[in-house]
Amino acid sequence: MTTLELDEVHTYYGESHILQGLSLSVEAGEIVALVGRNGVGKTTTLRTALGLTPPREGTVRFDGEDVTGMEPHEIAARGMGWVPEERRVFSHLTVEENLRVAAHSAADPSAQIAEAYELFPALDRFSDKGAGDLSGGQQQMLAIARGMVGDNDLLLVDEPSEGLAPQIVEDVVEALRAASADTTMVLVEQNFRLAMDLADRFYLVDHGVVVEAGETAGVTSEDERIRRYLTA
Amino acid sequence: MSLAPLAGAAPQIASLVDPGALLATGGAVDGLRTAARVLAEGIGKGAVYFTIAVGLTLVFGLMGVLNFAHGAVAMVGAYLGGLVLVLVVGANTGTLATILVFFVALALVFAVTTAAGSAMEVALIRPIYDRTPTYQILLTFGVSLIIEEVARIVLTLRGIQPNPQWQAPMGTAPDVLLGRTELFGVGVRRLYLFEVAIGALVAVAVWAFLTKTLYGLYIRAGSEDTEMVQALGIDVRQAFTVVFGVGTGLAAVGGVLLMWDPIWGPSVLLSIDVLLYAFVVVIIGGLGSFTGTLVAAGIVGIADSVTTWLFTTGIVTFPGLSEVTIFLLLVVMLIIRPQGLYGVEEVGGH
Repeated sequence: MTTLELDEVHTYYGESHILQGLSLSVEAGEIVALVGRNGVGKTTTLRTALGLTPPREGTVRFDGEDVTGMEPHEIAARGMGWVPEERRVFSHLTVEENLRVAAHSAADPSAQIAEAYELFPALDRFSDKGAGDLSGGQQQMLAIARGMVGDNDLLLVDEPSEGLAPQIVEDVVEALRAASADTTMVLVEQNFRLAMDLADRFYLVDHGVVVEAGETAGVTSEDERIRRYLTA
Repeated sequence: MSLAPLAGAAPQIASLVDPGALLATGGAVDGLRTAARVLAEGIGKGAVYFTIAVGLTLVFGLMGVLNFAHGAVAMVGAYLGGLVLVLVVGANTGTLATILVFFVALALVFAVTTAAGSAMEVALIRPIYDRTPTYQILLTFGVSLIIEEVARIVLTLRGIQPNPQWQAPMGTAPDVLLGRTELFGVGVRRLYLFEVAIGALVAVAVWAFLTKTLYGLYIRAGSEDTEMVQALGIDVRQAFTVVFGVGTGLAAVGGVLLMWDPIWGPSVLLSIDVLLYAFVVVIIGGLGSFTGTLVAAGIVGIADSVTTWLFTTGIVTFPGLSEVTIFLLLVVMLIIRPQGLYGVEEVGGH
């Protein structure tokens, strides 16, 4: 079953034409990576899916429903979670409060939060600590956990390894693997090797359109069809 | 720029300070007692400043909207509260009953103005969220002018002079709130104690709303990152409506509190007075910060109290000392820490 489908989507920031007819689809249970150079439209693709930057043309379908033009909170309430670039945790709230905001619509918010703590035990230890006082890696864990609570079917993850030390990146990768066990995922990641390790399939984006797509198995950044789109 | 004109003004400034009056204020014990009284009155004034400013900071914190109609709503609150008191309290009404009526008026005014504020947000503010903040400022300023002019027309038609204080509600204040009471050997105005109690009640209620309710959680999260809150499935527009309504209601509660205060009292000019002081408090505290508003209200209240004492005792003879000091505090804060004591550099917004 197709979880997310973007069909010939055109998205603008003001007069800047960012997505120029981008199409992709994500099947239930898989991890799909969006790769490409900086500024080609990967983050905008995630924002378009969630309705934060709505498309001017094209269609966005989520779990078979046309969600084009819906408000972001309406799309999110249908089960689409977001782990944004630079984490964007609520730094003045505690870890627990961050999770509670995300679990607001759950039938049993406490059970959901307990599940998140089970997956990320480090967060449990810091539940009363201000999110702004956490390390970068801990904040990334919190951002992932926050994106997962609320029974989300799909998690949009934007640059999870950005600005983190290699050891912390490994922990984040493990967290994403754990999260993907019961959540479909779209991953935007600059680190090509990491993206290929994590994902089942990839879309290579350039100038707002998909230029290559396929299975990740055996794909390296040295492949000629990939390399020319990743180097400046 | 030449400093010569300032040098010429120095003797004039010096003449505003009377060292004899300073020495005549008494010995160490009297001095301590005076300091305690000034401090207590400063806390009383701070409670008033907090009450009139907290709604403004709440609205700005979540929505990034500077509501220039805040003072006008406080003015309406003072008149509506006064109206309830004048209609219900008679010569034979007891103290307890009068205070009970005051709280009923407070609740009624809060309910009516909260509903009106929510309607205003839906009908007027919501359509311009996507425009620049200038539109919000012009719109709320326009609403403020309309409220003031309507108040002037209504009051004139009812035979009440709109600009001087409307004395009738002030006459309903029970005797127990008039005069001074001894507190730890210090004579403190009873009305200030009442204002501190109401201010504390408002502070606890707002604090409980922000920290103990789901809506409060959304507001605190939304104050940091509105877009992220939306992406978590929360209808921020609905939260905006609730918060704008509550902020408006709190402005009116401030007005009701000022109704019995001879320094303020119900008048159309209360609109601009409240707005100016509310802005000073929220800018010093940090726009959008509840704690900042609480601390800044205390600072401004104590500064006001000290400078008023300096003037009333004749130590300083410049009548505008209090206002100048408070606005100097504002200027200093804007220079050394533009985001205020507890503010962050960017809040709210859409």
